[in-house]
Amino acid sequence: MGLLRWSRYGRLTVFYLVLIAVAAVFIAPYIFAIFASFKPLSGVVHDKAWQPPSHFDTSNFTTVLRSQHFLKYLGNTAMIAVILTIGQVVFSMMGAYAFARMRFPGRDALFWVYLATLMVPNVVTLVPLYIIMNKMHLLNTYWAIFLPYVLGTPYAIFLIRQYFMTIPEEIIEAARLDGCGEQRILWRVVVPLSKPILMTASVIAFTFAWNNFLWPLIVTDSTSLRVATVGISNLNSNFTAQWNLVVAGSLIALVPMIIVFAIFQKQIVNSIQLTGVNR
Amino acid sequence: MPADFGHVVTAVAPTAAVGPTSATSTAPPAHSRRKQVGAAAFFLFPSLVGVLLFLVLPVILVILLSFVRWDLLSPPKFVGFANFTDLFQYDQIGHSLLITLYYVVLNIPIQTVIALGLALMLNRKLPAMGFFRVLYVLPFLATPVAMAVVWNWVFDPKVGVINSLLSLVGIHGPAWLGSSTWAMPVVAFANIWQYTGYNMLFFLAGLQAIPRQLYEVSGMDGATKFQQFYRITLPLLNPTFLFVLVTGVIGSFQVFDTVYVLTNGGPGNATEVMNLKIYQSAFVGFHIGEACAMSVILFLIILLFTMTQFSYFRRRTTYEMN
Repeated sequence: MGLLRWSRYGRLTVFYLVLIAVAAVFIAPYIFAIFASFKPLSGVVHDKAWQPPSHFDTSNFTTVLRSQHFLKYLGNTAMIAVILTIGQVVFSMMGAYAFARMRFPGRDALFWVYLATLMVPNVVTLVPLYIIMNKMHLLNTYWAIFLPYVLGTPYAIFLIRQYFMTIPEEIIEAARLDGCGEQRILWRVVVPLSKPILMTASVIAFTFAWNNFLWPLIVTDSTSLRVATVGISNLNSNFTAQWNLVVAGSLIALVPMIIVFAIFQKQIVNSIQLTGVNR
Repeated sequence: MPADFGHVVTAVAPTAAVGPTSATSTAPPAHSRRKQVGAAAFFLFPSLVGVLLFLVLPVILVILLSFVRWDLLSPPKFVGFANFTDLFQYDQIGHSLLITLYYVVLNIPIQTVIALGLALMLNRKLPAMGFFRVLYVLPFLATPVAMAVVWNWVFDPKVGVINSLLSLVGIHGPAWLGSSTWAMPVVAFANIWQYTGYNMLFFLAGLQAIPRQLYEVSGMDGATKFQQFYRITLPLLNPTFLFVLVTGVIGSFQVFDTVYVLTNGGPGNATEVMNLKIYQSAFVGFHIGEACAMSVILFLIILLFTMTQFSYFRRRTTYEMN
């Protein structure tokens, strides 16, 4: 029996060691980057990456923030991400409510049109979208960055609609019989019941906006409109081999997402399992 | 799990009936129905403008523009299929297609197998499983561009972590991103790192949806763990596989951010994937027609892969599980 017990504990130990090893691979780049961002260039080049900095020197961060208008880029990204998230969630929610809970001619046909556009990869619409923005004289404006995504997306509409369908019809009918308009029903009855999915849709929209790179790269070229992702990519080419600065810069952009994750991790994990984010 | 897996996004959305099915059982009176049409038009207006202007119109435009030659300045000129034939004759689009396919082949199988493995490990009632699950998803939220900058440093041949780790065991590491052999595997690694934990979540959800009794009954019938995995777990995970593979393949065919920052297509054209070539053609060279022709080709290839996966999994998915 002793041997059997030992082999059970042995197996469990190996099991957890494997889990920890995988976790190390997933976490190590963050740790190395945090260490490097507090080291001078000589430290980054000569020390081992897994050696913590001898003292916490914040000069890399101040250099990046000053020399590259990086605060401005972060501000641009934050503003665009907030506008895009609010617009996408509110307008998607309205569309989702119409599809889930209202009756009007052509509803199902229109819904299939929305679903069909889910099959179109982003890259396909890239060049024509640029030309549309050009014709609308919106290139090099904040509008160009968020307009294609702010009016609601078929994906978010589908996601929210599926959730709205689970709300019992009696609740909505009761509100209608009480003389509530559809607007009031949506905002006062349906929204309070749908907080989890609206949270999910918001996290998806915010992550998309924060991480978006190719589209802002294409539609803006002035530094005053630049977003953080484009700023980082420039940092990478402007400070070639100055790893302390480049890594500090990318950490500045990673931190907000880590904070979002820390606050919403339960919702994010649960919602990804239920839905899947279109990438 | 719902029995209808006809559409990609429905595969993991067990919350409600899928597709435009009527939810209302009692028809509202006529006057309120007329009021509903007006309200519905108001509710749908923003997203309808968005869908028509920024999704449907671009798809029509990309097809039309693939038949013209246009530099955005002078008026567009109709050239028939010349953009397509030129791409294959002069622009080595064949190379970019193969390189993109190579990336997909490096990326998807490894990512999927590891994701499934991790899900199988975490799908147990043991302490700290939730903690590891959260840790494994953390890479998914990392901004790809910012992470690519970090990878650039990690894989630097002189000061990078990877080569200093290798030198500990006496291996002289390659130049990684400067090597046409290793550049693409590094790009694939960056994406595997980012998306494996994310895909693991789908497999975990899929595993948790498999009824316990199937294992108990087959265990009593003398099935080995190995048989249970092949006869129960894998077949019942087919919908999850379909979702993970379809979304993964669609995403991988469009890889851009990591390639742009890590290699910008180099060394030489070793990592010149399709999306990068479209970007360069349209926004560096201003060959709009050529870029649209490439977009159409990539669209068709993605569509072909998606449909192949659907028909493969449709044949293999058992629907009698209720």
